[in-house]
Amino acid sequence: MKEMKLFLGPQHPGMHGNASVHMYVDGDIIKRAFLLPGMLHRGFEKGMERHSWINNISLIPRVCVVEPDINEMAFAMGAETLAGITVPERAHYIRMIILELARLSIHLMSYGGLGSPTGLYTLMYHAHTDRNTILNIFEKITGHRVYHQYIIPGGVRKDLPIGIEEDIHAFLDDLENRYEEYRDLGINNPTVLARITDTIPLPAEVVWELGVTGIGMRSAVNKPYDLRKVMPYARYDKIDFEVPVADYSDAKSRVDCKLQEVIQSISIIRQCLKLIPEGDVRVPLGRGQSMRWTIPKGHVYSVVESSRGEFGYFMVSNGGVNPYRVGVRGASYPQGLLGIEKYLPGTRLDDAALWVDTMGVCSPEIDR
Amino acid sequence: MTNSMSNVKMVSEIIENSYKVLKKEVISQYQVSFEVNKDDVHSILTLLKTSGWIQLSYLSAIDWPEENEFELVYIVFNWDKAVHIQIRTRLNRENPVMNSILPIFPGCKYYERETHEFFGIKFPGNPGHEKQLILEEWDDIPPLRKDFDPRAYSDRKFVKREYSNDFVNLNGEKSKQIAREERKEKIIKVRKGGRK
Repeated sequence: MKEMKLFLGPQHPGMHGNASVHMYVDGDIIKRAFLLPGMLHRGFEKGMERHSWINNISLIPRVCVVEPDINEMAFAMGAETLAGITVPERAHYIRMIILELARLSIHLMSYGGLGSPTGLYTLMYHAHTDRNTILNIFEKITGHRVYHQYIIPGGVRKDLPIGIEEDIHAFLDDLENRYEEYRDLGINNPTVLARITDTIPLPAEVVWELGVTGIGMRSAVNKPYDLRKVMPYARYDKIDFEVPVADYSDAKSRVDCKLQEVIQSISIIRQCLKLIPEGDVRVPLGRGQSMRWTIPKGHVYSVVESSRGEFGYFMVSNGGVNPYRVGVRGASYPQGLLGIEKYLPGTRLDDAALWVDTMGVCSPEIDR
Repeated sequence: MTNSMSNVKMVSEIIENSYKVLKKEVISQYQVSFEVNKDDVHSILTLLKTSGWIQLSYLSAIDWPEENEFELVYIVFNWDKAVHIQIRTRLNRENPVMNSILPIFPGCKYYERETHEFFGIKFPGNPGHEKQLILEEWDDIPPLRKDFDPRAYSDRKFVKREYSNDFVNLNGEKSKQIAREERKEKIIKVRKGGRK
C-alpha cells in the first residue's frame, strides 16, 4: 500500500501546544514520524542575555506555559549558587508549597488531557475545574493566576497571605475525597483501560539511549530516580514522601504513576504547612539595589524535578548585570524529538496522541 | 556511597588520573566542572559512561568573541551517585568543528542539531545536523552568537510601521505616553538645575 503523509497538530485535540507531528502512514500504521518544532520559538535564550538578572524574572516563567514555577525555581537556584546566597528557611517551605501545587495542577491537567485522545471529555472538565481552584489559590498568594513571578533569587517575592492555609487544606481535602472518583472516571474505566493498556511501551533499555527522565523513566526502570530524592533541593530532605515506580512502562502505568504522585504531592503540601517556620521570606539583593545586582563569574547547571522530568537551566555569568548565556534544558526535549522519531514508527496512528500526552511533550519548552 | 561530596572526589580522581584537566571547579556537592582539551572529550565521555554517568543531560555552546573561541559544554548525570559533571572545551571561532558524540550518547542528536543552528558549530558524524530545526528559512549569522544584533535584523527584515496616537481620549486624561515624556523632561530639568 502507498504511504501517506499526515500532520498531527498543531490544531488537533490530542496535541498540546503549537507543534505538529509529521507522520508517514501505511493504513493506520506509522512508518516514519518526526516532530516539527519552531512554531512557538520566541528567542528567550537571546532575550535573557539582553535583560538584567532581575528583569529576567518576568521572562522565564513563559518558557513553559503550563508549569511556570519550575522555571523560576531553577533560575533562582542557579543564581543563588553562583552568588552564594543563603535563602531563609521559611522561603524554602513556601517554595515547596508553590512547586507542589503547580505539580498537582499540571498532573490534573495532563490527566484530563487523556480525555481528548480517548474521547472522554468529562474527565477533562473535572480536571480543569480543580485546576481552576489551584489557580485561585495562586492568585491569592502571588497576585497572578498563571505566570506567578513569585520565586525569585533570594527567596520568594512576598509572604503567604493570612488564612491561606485554610483554603489550601479545604482544596486538598476535597481533592482527596474525590480521588477515587477520578480513578474510576479515567484509569479504572473499562473503555479507557482497554485503550491505554499495552499502548506505546517504552522499554527500559532505551530510556538511557533517549535520555528520558521523569515518570517515563521511573515507570520503565523501576527505581525511584526522582531529583527530589536523589539530590534534594529546597527542604525536600526533611519531608517524608515516596516516589511511585513501575516495572513496565506503557501508557497505563505512566498514568498510574502520575495519579500516585498526586497523592504524594497532597501529603508533601500538608507536611510543609505543618513544618513551616516563622521568619523572613527573602534576602535583599545587591545591597538593596536589585536592578544593579551583579553575580560573580561562573558556570552553573541547576536542575529541578518537573512533572515531566529533569528541568535544567545552564547559566553563565561574566560578572555583569546581565546573564552572559542562559540555556534551557526542556524536560520533554528527549521524548519530544528523539522519542517521537524512534519509537512512534510501528505503532498506530491514534496512539501518537497518547504518547504526546502520557510522556508529557510540552512544545513551548522545546522551542523556547 | 551516599555522601555526595565523596562522589565529587571520586569523579575528580577518575578524570584527573588519566587526563590533563585545564581547570576544575567544584560548584556544589552535586556538581563539578572540568575544562579539558578538545581531543580528550570523546575519551572522557566514554570513560564516564562506563563509570555510570549514562545520561546526557545537556549539550550547548557559549560564544566568547573577545577570545575568538566557542566553549562547548557537555553535562552528564549519574542517577545512583547524583553528580552532574560539566565537561567544557574550547573551539576556534573561525572554523568551529567538533566530532559528534552520537556513538557514545545517541540522545545528543537533536542537541547537536540545535547547537549547529544557533551557533554554527559543525558536528561531523551526526547525519542531518545541518537541517533546519527551529528557525525557519534563517538567512543571517546564527542568532545566539554575540555579534548578532536582533534590532538590526528586525529593522532589515520587517517593514517599519509608524504608530500614531489617533485614538480619542474620552475622559480628557493625559495619555500615559505624554505623562511619561513630561515626567522625563521634568527630571532632566531638575537634574541640570534649570540650566539648558
